[in-house]
Amino acid sequence: MWFVRFLTSSIGKKMVMAVTGLCLILFLCVHAAGNVTIFVGSAVFQGYAENLHSHPVIVFIFRVGLLALFLIHIGVGLLLWQEGRKEGKNRYVVNTWVSKNPYAMSTMPYTGLFILFFVLIHVFGFAVAPTHDQMISHVIDDALSNFFYVLLYLAGFAALFIHLSHGFWSMLQTVGINHPRYNTLIARATWVVPGGFLCFFSLIALYLLTTSTY
Amino acid sequence: MELKSNVPEGPLEKKWDNYRFSSKLVNPANRRKFSIIIVGTGLAGGAAAATLAEQGYQVKSFCIQDTPRRAHSIAAQGGINAAKNYQNDGDSIFRLFYDTIKGGDFRSREANVYRLAQVSNEIIDQCVAQGVPFAREYGGTLANRSFGGAQVSRTFYARGQTGQQLLLGAYSALSRQIKAGRVTMYTRREMMDVVVVDGRARGITVRNIITGEIESHAADLVILGTGGYGNVYFLSTNAMASNVTAAVRAYKKGAGFANPCYVQIHPTCIPVHGDFQSKLTLMSESLRNDGRVWVPKKKGETRKAADIPENERDYYLENKYPSFGNLVPRDVASRNAKEKCDEGQGVGPTGLAVYLDFAEAIQRDGADVIFRKYGNLFQMYQKIVNVDPMKEPMMIYPAVHYTMGGLWVDYNLMTTIPGLFAIGECNFSDHGANRLGASALMQGLADGYFVIAACVANYLGTNKFAKVDETNEAFLSSRREVEDRLQKLLKNSTGGSAGKCTVDEIHKELGKLMWDYCGMARNKEGLEHALKELPGIRQKFWDKVYIPGSTKDINQSLERAGRVADFIDFAEIVVRDALARGESCGCHLREESQTEENEALRDDANYSHVAVWEYTGEGSEPKLNIEPLTFENVTPSQRSYK
Amino acid sequence: MSEINLTLKIWRQPNAEAEGKVETYSVENISTDSSFLEMLDVLNEKLTHEGVDPVAFDHDCREGICGMCGAVVNGVAHGPEKETTLCQLHMRHFKNGDTIVIEPFRSRAFPIYKDLMIDRSAFDRIIQAGGYTNVNTGGTPDANSVRISSQQLELAMDAAACIGCGACVASCPNGSAMLFTSAKVSQLALLPQGQVERKERAQAMVQCMDGEGFGHCTNTKECEAVCPKGISISNIARLNREFLKGIFTGRDD
Repeated sequence: MWFVRFLTSSIGKKMVMAVTGLCLILFLCVHAAGNVTIFVGSAVFQGYAENLHSHPVIVFIFRVGLLALFLIHIGVGLLLWQEGRKEGKNRYVVNTWVSKNPYAMSTMPYTGLFILFFVLIHVFGFAVAPTHDQMISHVIDDALSNFFYVLLYLAGFAALFIHLSHGFWSMLQTVGINHPRYNTLIARATWVVPGGFLCFFSLIALYLLTTSTY
Repeated sequence: MELKSNVPEGPLEKKWDNYRFSSKLVNPANRRKFSIIIVGTGLAGGAAAATLAEQGYQVKSFCIQDTPRRAHSIAAQGGINAAKNYQNDGDSIFRLFYDTIKGGDFRSREANVYRLAQVSNEIIDQCVAQGVPFAREYGGTLANRSFGGAQVSRTFYARGQTGQQLLLGAYSALSRQIKAGRVTMYTRREMMDVVVVDGRARGITVRNIITGEIESHAADLVILGTGGYGNVYFLSTNAMASNVTAAVRAYKKGAGFANPCYVQIHPTCIPVHGDFQSKLTLMSESLRNDGRVWVPKKKGETRKAADIPENERDYYLENKYPSFGNLVPRDVASRNAKEKCDEGQGVGPTGLAVYLDFAEAIQRDGADVIFRKYGNLFQMYQKIVNVDPMKEPMMIYPAVHYTMGGLWVDYNLMTTIPGLFAIGECNFSDHGANRLGASALMQGLADGYFVIAACVANYLGTNKFAKVDETNEAFLSSRREVEDRLQKLLKNSTGGSAGKCTVDEIHKELGKLMWDYCGMARNKEGLEHALKELPGIRQKFWDKVYIPGSTKDINQSLERAGRVADFIDFAEIVVRDALARGESCGCHLREESQTEENEALRDDANYSHVAVWEYTGEGSEPKLNIEPLTFENVTPSQRSYK
Repeated sequence: MSEINLTLKIWRQPNAEAEGKVETYSVENISTDSSFLEMLDVLNEKLTHEGVDPVAFDHDCREGICGMCGAVVNGVAHGPEKETTLCQLHMRHFKNGDTIVIEPFRSRAFPIYKDLMIDRSAFDRIIQAGGYTNVNTGGTPDANSVRISSQQLELAMDAAACIGCGACVASCPNGSAMLFTSAKVSQLALLPQGQVERKERAQAMVQCMDGEGFGHCTNTKECEAVCPKGISISNIARLNREFLKGIFTGRDD
């Protein structure tokens, strides 16, 4: 069957990575948009959170969808990693990288796994663990006034930055977006998008650390 | 030895049509019953294998490299000629024919050359259909350039990589047939012998380079597309693996070898610069379209090129040949470079080089335009010599490049052994005593795509074939000969390497002897000297050559040794042929036979013939046979490019 | 011209089955005008005189076009010069006293025959899977019957310049043959002559590539960086598009 052939081919697997990666980036954008309310005030943020949760169907779809995206992205990623390890760059006595930025691409699985670790803590800390009578804005304020907790967050954002500094361009290349007219733009976006996420989310963490009301 | 050219009846332009009409054919359904061996996967061999397989024959294809895509046709840079007249500048089939036969100094067979010109147009169509990216004009039509010795623009090209692109076209067609199961591909095989059963070529003996195994392969006929023998000179522009072994094996089995002394020395190569050198690199002749060739007027000049004022430069080609200037044919350009260097006007550390200067072209057309045209060649030059031709003139010197001589074939491309065909550079047929630029690719593909299939059908259709397989006594005895020979090559290897010499050392010695006495200019004394020296080199080879390892696995020293042994044997007929041809013609310049202006002087009364050498046994002198050349459509004239 | 002395550490492996190891040799008075392979010739002449088996390496045209030669020099396929095959790498790029580590191109799909000689027949099989137009000899239309813009043609020629040396595979952390495969797919996708089989070609060639044991492309750009002909990874993007288009809109199944 053509779709199975697509999914089992090397390019197909890479495309699954690219598409799920793109979806996750888009989710991050939505997530970031919602988080803007934090800067407006604790109450506004709480309002946003409550409004969001008043649509359980949407929340359910998002949760299941996200979980699926994550699982596919991670699962296929690990599969590709394991396949790639059959060869390994270290098959030579002397190993030299010729291309630029080898750091980000050679650490994709590691930064990916670290992001997973971070996401688990984030989700369990803010979405699963809190009981219903706790205000979400308070939970977050509470957690992010802890210096070490914030440090962990910053590390997570840094990992995301590194992951995307290769991943963003790589995603576009895999789906075939590569054109001399846009390549400079893509190269810039490969720094601007991850950099934007890094700055924005770090700012929230630091903002909450320094302006804790509790 | 009977030399029947089998040229068909009729007027020149009808001969090929008449041939095809009167030829026997093989019914499409019957073709699969016939098997064909093709040795070599260059333009000729690769194209022939693909074409014959498409027509339904069972083809076995052999190559020495790890894949058929690497044959030395790949290194041709400049282009391929065709009489398309796309530029509307007066070209025609007859003009291409005339230029080719005149360029060859009237030493080729009219009918063969005319056929070549006729099929040239189909080659371009074929290659474009395969996806060969020939250069295009802005408007999308095919671009042409003019090339050494031609006054029309008829050369099609793909940057400086025309040979590569054409070969990859043939390789892709071949790959398609391999996939379809109609070609069985044998890579990394070296042909060691041709097997003749009942007077007909019925197979070959090869050595598997990886396993060392000697293999027999039987078929109904054998086609050799094994290239030229330029490496007899050690230093040439040929690839390292290019060799004469297949042709010499065929010669020793009874195939006549025609005109071995016709060796083309290409004028624009990078000069030799050390003893370590393993090969010479050609710079495409197209450079002469914009580059001006000059040497300093003063002998022993020590100033840099840029410091030599205009009036102290000798633009000798432009001065001597006002109408062709820097675009004179290869032999003329080469010989004049040698003359200037012999007179002490040569440049560079060895004094064996002339300048090829782009300064004027850069000034006229702008650096961008010149770089776009020749950038890849300039980069190649800079890589090797470490000098940028955009800033300083190139230094060039002639080098052995192409061999017009080869196995004698009739109009059917069949050698004097029935069932043994030779195509491409391996045969002698189309270029006479000198080949024009961009004609080698044309000939290889003409033979492979368009000519050989008709010849094969005719041969298969007119003969009955008894079943022959690899257990036939002829195959067994051929294997024994091959194995004995390999053992003989290894006989010096016991008792260590002390006091012995390597294969390359002897090859260099042979090459130097050939270059010095049978190179660009030859004379009786020198040739006789070479003939006297050759047995000594042969003796030294068999007594002293040390080859490490065994015959049973990969042994590159052994491979080279086998080839050099054949080069030594072969060198003898090159020298004999040069000696026997007392005239000058094309690339063959006998110093005794020159005009007052030091141009090659032909002697049509005595030498208007093909010289065909017949093997008469080990240790006995080869016999010279003659195929007279008659010209009905052109009148041999003294070539003049003034 | 000057002369240099070098220490060479070369992978020696007598045959496909044997264990290999790095051996150390020294060569003296190497002209800086000589090529890397000529330097190896000097070593081999010396080894032969010492009665030692010379280093086996593949080479043929020695002018950078046949694609036969290639080795990993100090961790870089074809050595340190950009867009240069091993045979065109000249010794002036090394210094007196340098140690040079020379290893064969390695990949699961390229088994080693001996020393630096490898088996690249997998590349042939990829081309056999679809790297051609299905035209027989003869009966083709006039070459000028279809116009092709020179810009488009140049793009196709950029891709067609691939020499099939295998450096892309050797340098790729995953041993991927995407650059090689994409070069042929691109050439034919960019030309009108390649359109008939366009939808099947990429699929067939990628399927073969995967089956031969080449890894997937992980966009490290190492292939492009070592490619002696400067083949761009924009061809890989094109292959991805061709593959996508072919598999989602192809007709047969």
